[in-house]
Amino acid sequence: MVISPGQVIAVLLNKIGIHLPVAYTEGMEGVLLQIRLPRVILAVLVGAGLAVAGASLQGLFRNPMADPVLIGISSGASLAAVATIVCLGGIASHYLLNTASFLGACLSAIILFRMGRSGGHTIVAMLLLAGLAVNALCNAMTGLITYSANNEQLRSVTFWLMGSLGGASWKLVLSLLPFIITPVLLLPLSAKALNAWSLGEQEAIHLGIDVRMLKARIMVLTTLAVGASVAVAGIIGFVGLIVPHIIRTLSGSDHRRLLPDSALFGAILLVLADLVSRTLLAPAELPIGIITAMLGTPLFIYLLYRYKKNYVKD
Amino acid sequence: MLRIEDISYRAGRIKILDALSCDILPGELTVLLGANGAGKSTLLRLISGERSPHAGKIWWGDRQLHSFAPAELARWRAVLTQHTVVSLPFTVEEIVLMGRYPHYRNSSSEKDRAIVAFCLEEMKVRHLAARYFYTLSGGEQQRVHMARVLAQLRGREMDEDRMPGNSPGLLLLDEPTSSLDWQHQQLCLQKARELAISGYTVVVVLHDLNLAAQFADRILLLKNGRLLTAGEPGSVLIPEFIQAAYGINVTVFYPEGSPFPVVIPTTIKNEIYANN
Repeated sequence: MVISPGQVIAVLLNKIGIHLPVAYTEGMEGVLLQIRLPRVILAVLVGAGLAVAGASLQGLFRNPMADPVLIGISSGASLAAVATIVCLGGIASHYLLNTASFLGACLSAIILFRMGRSGGHTIVAMLLLAGLAVNALCNAMTGLITYSANNEQLRSVTFWLMGSLGGASWKLVLSLLPFIITPVLLLPLSAKALNAWSLGEQEAIHLGIDVRMLKARIMVLTTLAVGASVAVAGIIGFVGLIVPHIIRTLSGSDHRRLLPDSALFGAILLVLADLVSRTLLAPAELPIGIITAMLGTPLFIYLLYRYKKNYVKD
Repeated sequence: MLRIEDISYRAGRIKILDALSCDILPGELTVLLGANGAGKSTLLRLISGERSPHAGKIWWGDRQLHSFAPAELARWRAVLTQHTVVSLPFTVEEIVLMGRYPHYRNSSSEKDRAIVAFCLEEMKVRHLAARYFYTLSGGEQQRVHMARVLAQLRGREMDEDRMPGNSPGLLLLDEPTSSLDWQHQQLCLQKARELAISGYTVVVVLHDLNLAAQFADRILLLKNGRLLTAGEPGSVLIPEFIQAAYGINVTVFYPEGSPFPVVIPTTIKNEIYANN
């Protein structure tokens, strides 16, 4: 269905009591308000959540390559979801899937945190390596489950794994909202502490930061955002990695700007990516994970190249 | 006054500090000397409150160190550690501003920014302010960290809010001169002295005996986690103590016109080769 920009504005304004002299059908209103609008808002939420989680994790690991997908939080969530799809088949509702993948993300995060701890201190390198291990294990187990799945299960698992915003509804948006809003609002409160943390654990302590509290807060809030995002849209890679990179080159590393800017830009990027995924092969739909990877990877390589050039020149 | 009472610290089964006691006075620059592994850096870490001793007490005035909350301590105490790597691309100015973090909540004040500018200037890194930290040389990086540490304490000289024990603050430097050229070694320790003169308590770990002789009010000489001796440079830097602490024979001179002693090893080149 083709709805012109004028008609879109008219439908939206009509909802808040302003009537424009633009003609549109009831069908248009239905499609816009019940299918397209929730989908756009879902993209905004997932994009903002993934990007702010990526930026925070990079700060926590003091490594610009850390990413929810890389350290295994996303794959923990997805393993739980895939297991649910295969075990329960058609009766696995969206809510059940949400809960399962959120629990999977939590489990991954807890294992990571435990493995990274030694004598009351968290060793960042250990945490990162533990992340690689968790990631590998989750992917292997997901592969095993996929291998044992029948044709029909395989189709839904594969499609779910590639990520999609196709199932958007207001119900889904509402169920996701608190899991994204909380981290997006609360993570920037740790921005100053994350800056100090980038100097090192000792230095952060010397600057008066409660480092145990900081680590726990970042882990819990990012798990919340990532787990919920994976539950509704599957693994969408590169948003958490690429967005903070772009923002850093534009406005620097200060987390006080980086975190809110990443959330905003992540939202924009995912809305655009979803637009491409819906329209490129219309009426067929390309999985959004493929779009973000196609958009993200060249940009990532370019950023690496620029970083290298700057570093060598100075 | 900072009072260290019978403190012991172990790393696993190895005793790093063994029932060490000493007093550190405000308004003085105290230098910690000793061979590698004597416990200097560990003592500094305990004084900073980063670690707690396994036995013994550290008093600041009439309050024990562990009774301070981290955020409270950070307004009074700044620490320059060794080997600080900054892994994210922050600029020099952003890093020095981090020294002011304990003093504001959301946005920096005029005073904070003025102190940052002052400290960039005094460590001679103002021309690097907009550069990314990781692009600097080792010596420049060390000066930037020194500027950050100074920024954390500057502006407290006239402050009513003094630490218990009536000092405006505590400055702890762990080998601040390790990557610096000769002129910046002098600059760095002159700044530490400046703070001591305006009432701060300053503790510096050094390796160079002659820098210690030049800048210290008091020297604490450590050996195997114990205090070998303490006192003015003239009374600590004598051949007997240096031989005991480092196993090196030295001669101590008082060159004409020099207000401080100069320490020179008496082992000459050929003897080193002979001993090997």
